[in-house]
Order: sequence, then structure tokens, then C-alpha cells
Amino acid sequence: MARVKNWQLGREMSYWYPESRPQKQFAAVFDTNKCIACQTCTLACKTTWTSGKGQEYMLWNNVETKPYGSYPLAWDLNLLSLLDGQNWGEEDGKPVYKGSTIFESAPAGERVMAWRPDEEDYAYPNVGEDDCAGGIEHGASIEIPHQMAWFYYLARICNHCTYPACLASCPRGSIYKRPEDGIVLVDQGRCRGYQECVRGCPYKKVFFNPMTATSEKCIACYPKIEQGLSPQCFANCIGKIRMAGFINTPDKAQADNPIDYLVHIKKVALPLYPQFGLEPNVYYIPPIHVPTAFTKQMFGPGVDKAVEVYRNAPNDQDLTSLLGLFGSTEAIVRKWKRVGEKAIGMDENGKELVDVPFKEPVHIRPAYDKLHQITRTNCP
Amino acid sequence: MRSITSLLILILCFASACKRAQIPTAEVNVAQVKEITLDPNAPVWEAVSLHLSKMIPQDLVEPRLMEPSTPEVQVKAITNGSEIAFRIEWVDETQNDLPGPKHFIDGCAIQLPAKIDPNVPAPQMGEVGKTVEISFWRADWQAIVEGRADTINALYPNASIDHYPSEAKPLEGDPKALEEAGLRYAPARALGNRRAGPRDQPVEDLIAEGPSTISPAPDAISKGKGVRTAKGWAVVITRPLPAGFSAATPSQVAFAIWEGSHNEVGARKMRTGWVPLIMK
Repeated sequence: MARVKNWQLGREMSYWYPESRPQKQFAAVFDTNKCIACQTCTLACKTTWTSGKGQEYMLWNNVETKPYGSYPLAWDLNLLSLLDGQNWGEEDGKPVYKGSTIFESAPAGERVMAWRPDEEDYAYPNVGEDDCAGGIEHGASIEIPHQMAWFYYLARICNHCTYPACLASCPRGSIYKRPEDGIVLVDQGRCRGYQECVRGCPYKKVFFNPMTATSEKCIACYPKIEQGLSPQCFANCIGKIRMAGFINTPDKAQADNPIDYLVHIKKVALPLYPQFGLEPNVYYIPPIHVPTAFTKQMFGPGVDKAVEVYRNAPNDQDLTSLLGLFGSTEAIVRKWKRVGEKAIGMDENGKELVDVPFKEPVHIRPAYDKLHQITRTNCP
Repeated sequence: MRSITSLLILILCFASACKRAQIPTAEVNVAQVKEITLDPNAPVWEAVSLHLSKMIPQDLVEPRLMEPSTPEVQVKAITNGSEIAFRIEWVDETQNDLPGPKHFIDGCAIQLPAKIDPNVPAPQMGEVGKTVEISFWRADWQAIVEGRADTINALYPNASIDHYPSEAKPLEGDPKALEEAGLRYAPARALGNRRAGPRDQPVEDLIAEGPSTISPAPDAISKGKGVRTAKGWAVVITRPLPAGFSAATPSQVAFAIWEGSHNEVGARKMRTGWVPLIMK
């Protein structure tokens, strides 16, 4: 194994291949506080990519209710129970992961620490949907605040990791990471369906197609990315919880890059299970109403800070401005700036794509239309 | 009475001699016959000498097989002078021929050096500059060749599907449009991945120059047929006689077995080292 730098862990770690970062890395920020689990993203992906034979059960995008929801069943709990000592420490005021990653914990004969889902584990797209973490006593449901009666929605796609475990697991090198944008793909001409990637991916975002006997996964809608457009699950998100873009390493963070600003500068968006060691590139603004003992295990030690920053967004015009750009255009916003009380989204050349005011103007339509001399009603 | 006793003794001696003929040989002896066969149950195999290969887990490269499974494989071989046929039999209580998530397929393979040379390739899938040729039989391909339909219901009989866009109403009656639409949702087939499509042979020809390098051979030269026995599988794989192989010039052969119910796939397999291959 090689030694590579994983900035999310604050240290070097072991990986199957030497460090080789792409020219730019596809990344995304999901705001869990805005997701309503309408599954429009899931359907947008499903109808675009996985409507074929053998793909019936595949959900390259899914939304699950946490703490119980999961697809495939218990994808995260099963691995967390295998991974020992997920402790974080601090060095020079920065968090450092003191535990072992799935690469460092690999048992003899394996490339990664992992487990294989049973066929039945794919039978429940979101078991535990809308089940909250604690019981609600009679009458408590109308009292605020609820104590421990929380749940939230976790939308998931492939994380297009910097250190993909699927890629490391494939014994014949059928999985590759595109140098131009860091998107991780299964070469469908080379795959021989060993399912090692299905086993190896801790996020369980590679699926075996029994009709073609090959494994398939989220492709980040790369034909759209190549045209500067957001993937389908982003463009169709009615909650506008997602922003697509490209991320730099912390030492090269650019304040006018929306993803860099949210992840590196404001530190309001965090990786999913960073302790696995893959340096995943989908970042989550953690739910602000969930006990942080839970979210810290899921998003790492930065949760308290992220929640504080997010709660303070009404007093932070820049952050408010950028959050308003989420879902404002299908184009990928490569740069942004705030002008007064307006957010401007731009392409990589600085050309304006969209502008979004902090507050949408309110138009009051009189009940009586003088022009047409008719009273309007709201009834159809 | 004495003559009857003598006859019985003679019969017993003959039977004993026949049994001795089946004592396994240390090498794979290729018997010359008029016609080779794909049928594992054909009478021609009865008179052919038996080789018993002890198997070892693939434990050189990750992912390894950490728990041994199939302990040995019985091998017989015949040739008609232009083609060679191997009959491979092993014990496997479970029939695994349905692909799916965490479903793995029973299979076997024979491996030959691409060139007969005293400096043989590494037995574990060859090495750079020393190619090996592999003929790979799989139980799911056998089922497909024997008529299992190319449908999801053939794999999941209770599956209920409302609609496939690739079979939309406007495409009906236009076979070319249907085929194109089907390929749109089956990229492995669209790319011509031989692993992915419907098959007319249960055997695939491959070449390799070491672990991780296996790739389709330029030509499909092997045929095969596998049947269930009382205890497992019996498979016949035929292919052209290796170039230069003769009674004066022996070669080597190696075998691998995948036990599907033991999650064996790809590198997770039982294998042998090189076994001498000798023309009788």
C-alpha cells in the first residue's frame, strides 16, 4: 500500500494506489436541513439511467430517513460495527483521526475492510421511513421542543471519492477515476462482475446488474457535467438542497468557489463518514436539530462548528447569499459573489449565470382586476 | 465346480486389473481417440486414465481465498489429433447458476501456456511476456445455452415489472429500434463485453500475463458442456490442440474451480499448480 494525504483525516493514510488527484474534482454540497424526502432526485436518476433490465433495484440516488433508514439495509451500521476505535484527536488545534480507516483495517487477504449486502438487503428502499429516534409520549407531539424525537433525511449519491474503495477493490482495474473531473466510473467493457466493488464501497453505491453480469454505479451525469450542467438529481431537486461544483484541497481553497467557501472557509459542509478514509466529495450541511453525538459519528468532529455557522446564517450576509444560489440554475456555478443583497452565480470565466436576491420581491395582486372588471378568486 | 471357481477367480482378477487402471496418474495423460466428445457421460471417458489434482486456495494476490473449499479435481483428457478435450469432475453439493447480488456462480477453468517452452509461465495466470491461454466454463452460461431466457423473470420468477422504456409501445414492431433501446440501458452489452450478453457457448476464451491482466482472447476457440452429477459437476472443455504439443513434446496444464456458494469469484478460487500434460 502507498501512503497518501487525506486532508479530511488531518493525516496521511494507507491506500492501495499512490496519491493521484485529478485536474479538478467534482464535488457537491447537500443541505440536509432543506430536504423533504420527496424522492424527486431518486426518480430523476431512475428515469434517466436505471430503467433497464437488471437495474430494477438500483438506486444510484436515494434518500433515507436517519437514524433508521438505509439502502441497502444497514449499509452504515454494518461497517461501523466492524471498524474499531473511530476516535478523533487534535494536533495544532486541528482535528486528526486517530482510528483506522477501512484500508488500514483490511484483514489478511482483503484489500479493504468491508461486508457484502445480501440480496434481501436491497428489498427495502427506506425501511424506517419517517420513524423518529425516540418514542413520543401521549400529548408530547404538540409540545415544542420535542425531546430526542428527531429524524432527518439523508440524500445520497456516489461520493466520487478521492480514494475510492470500489476502485481499490477491483482486482482487474476495471474502475477508474477520470483525471479531468475526478468522476469515478466502472468500465463496462472491462468489468467481469466479480462484485468486489459492491463489497468494497462502504457507501454501497455500486450495484450488480444480474442481466449484464457487470457492476454499475452513479456516473455523476458526466455527459451533463461536460457541458457545464448539474446532474439530474441536482437539477430536479425541488427543495433546492444541492449545489454541484468542484473542490480544491484546503491549501488551495478559493473564496469565490462556492464549494470551497462552504467546505473550507465557512466549514459548514462536512464529509459523510470521513473516518472510512475515502475522502468523499459530497459534503453535507448537518441537520441542526439532531443531537450532535449522532451527527459527529456521521460527519466528523466539525459538526458543532457547522451547526453554529448555519444557525448564524441570518447574520452572515455572504453565507445567506451563497445558500440562496442552491438550485437557482441548472448550470454549475463555478464562482460566486455577493453584491448588496443579491447573490451572483458565474461560470468559470466569470460570466454571470444567475442572480438571486436575499428576499424575493412580493407582488400583491388585488382581489378586483380593474382592467378586466372582474373579481379574482383563488378557487379553480 | 472347480472350473466355475477358476472362472470366478479370473473375473475377479480382471475386475481388479480394471480398477488398477483407474489409479490416478501423476500427470494428465491425453489418450488418442477417433472422435472427441462434449458429453461428460460419453463411454469414451471410461477407458481414459484418471488424474487427480489436489487444489490449493489462491492466496498469492488480494483478494485471496482464505478458506479452502474444493479439495481436488478429477481430470481426464482425449485428443483426435487436432482437438483436445478435458473432462473435469469435482464435488460441489450446491448448484449455483443464478447471478445476482451476492450470488456467485460455479465454474471451472483450464490453463495452458500459449507457447510450449521449457521456461514455463508462472502457474498463477502467467506473467509478462509469458502468456497463458484459459478456457473458462460457468454454470450460468450453461443454463443460458440450455435455454434459460434472457429475462429478469428467468432469474426472479416472481418479479413484476410495470414498464421498461426500452420496450415502449412506439417501438413495437421495429426490432432494430427495440435492440437499440435495449442497449441504451445495458452499456456492457453496448460495448460488446462478452461477459454481458446472451451466449451460445458456456465457455469463454481468455488470455493473461499475470494476475489482474485477464482479457478476452482474440478468437473463440473453446467449446464446453457441464452436467450435474450425483455429487457435483462434470464438465468437458474442448479446444484446438496446443501448437507443438505431441507425444515427443509434452506441455503443462493447470486447473481452477470456483464454488459459488462459498462466495468464490474472480481471484477467490481454488487452483492447482502446473501439471504435466503428456500425449500417450
